[in-house]
Amino acid sequence: MSTSRNGRGQAKTPYAEILAVLVRQRGVLGSFVVSERDGIAVDSNAQIGVHAEAVAALAASLHRKARLACGAAGCGDVTFLRLDAERGGICAAGRDDLVLVTISETRANIGLLRVEMMRAAKALT
Amino acid sequence: MADEIRRLSDDLARDPSSLAFMPLADALRRAGQLDVALRVALRGLDRHPYVADAHDVLARIHADRGDLERAADEWEMALRLNPRHGPARLGLGFVDFRRGDLESAERRLSAVTTDDDPGVAAALTHVRSALSARVPVQPPPVESVAGEAPPDTAPASKPAAPPTVIELPAPDPSKARHVFAPALEGSDQAALLVDGDGLVLAGSYADPDGRDVAEIVAAELAGVSGEAERAMRHLGLGAWTSMLVEADRAVVAMTPAPLGSLLVVSASRQTPVGLVRLLLDRALTRARDWLARVA
Repeated sequence: MSTSRNGRGQAKTPYAEILAVLVRQRGVLGSFVVSERDGIAVDSNAQIGVHAEAVAALAASLHRKARLACGAAGCGDVTFLRLDAERGGICAAGRDDLVLVTISETRANIGLLRVEMMRAAKALT
Repeated sequence: MADEIRRLSDDLARDPSSLAFMPLADALRRAGQLDVALRVALRGLDRHPYVADAHDVLARIHADRGDLERAADEWEMALRLNPRHGPARLGLGFVDFRRGDLESAERRLSAVTTDDDPGVAAALTHVRSALSARVPVQPPPVESVAGEAPPDTAPASKPAAPPTVIELPAPDPSKARHVFAPALEGSDQAALLVDGDGLVLAGSYADPDGRDVAEIVAAELAGVSGEAERAMRHLGLGAWTSMLVEADRAVVAMTPAPLGSLLVVSASRQTPVGLVRLLLDRALTRARDWLARVA
């Protein structure tokens, strides 16, 4: 069972379709659009039980740190970030201030998810 | 041998994503074509970075090239992927023996069941004999230790070096910048060990213009470990193991290292992601070793 709502519990946002496509991928537990600046979830589509707000904020913070470190190192803009853990992980792809975040289990096809996320991130405005 | 290599090459050409690169690389190694063997093994590992046997093949190639350090890194990697990997234990025992660390060689070989290799018992006897005698001996035949001919075993007539136990010296702080150099493959790669406060512990990091940006990168990454850990705790997905960042001009990989530190490895954007992860594993082995001696 999943929910789709924006940060204020209101109806559909322009990102609902993007998030729905991502959450249909195998092993994906939730997808979010997060403001990197303040870590607030703009929209989310997550299975009940996922700590959406907290995870979104942490993912945004990680993306911000990675972006700043890459900037300092002269690596250019961050296009994709993946955090792996023992039983799953987080992926993030950003554009301007918005970051698309997914949470997945180990059975997810990360290669496919990466392609979908990078495509979807281009549509974030 | 040539026929075998041709057949294995055909097998790999028919299915480049298969594991046929392993017997091919090993056959090339046995035929003495070490550079080609190395290329085949590295390309295969790009596709299959988590196959312990593939790391074992690469380790044997490094050993035959006389690069015991990289051989040990690969065997360590194979053991991490499969803690019961007998050939990797044998290989590390061989490396220890060659380094003169007979006690460690004996420990490693004792941990291998003789079912893994019929030569283990003979190798163990050889090592124990050297340990008790403490007189100059030849390294054990590698058929006994790693299952193959030794890369550079001295001829029987040549006097062997005394088997003194090599005590690794305490690390020289001025050399901390170069700790990871042996684990990296090219000038477009860098590795940095950062403590929990965002301070550089070891390694180096230069931007594309060659400027040293290690300290600023380390500072920007302060707290990454803690945040990754918190995120995973909220999600109940277990401990975080690595983070991979793809940027326009580089791929950067990170992993938690001992004492709350963070290991960062970067490579140019052209480097296959699988290879970056492999470099990260190699650098982590060196970081652990270095921290164990420093801390």
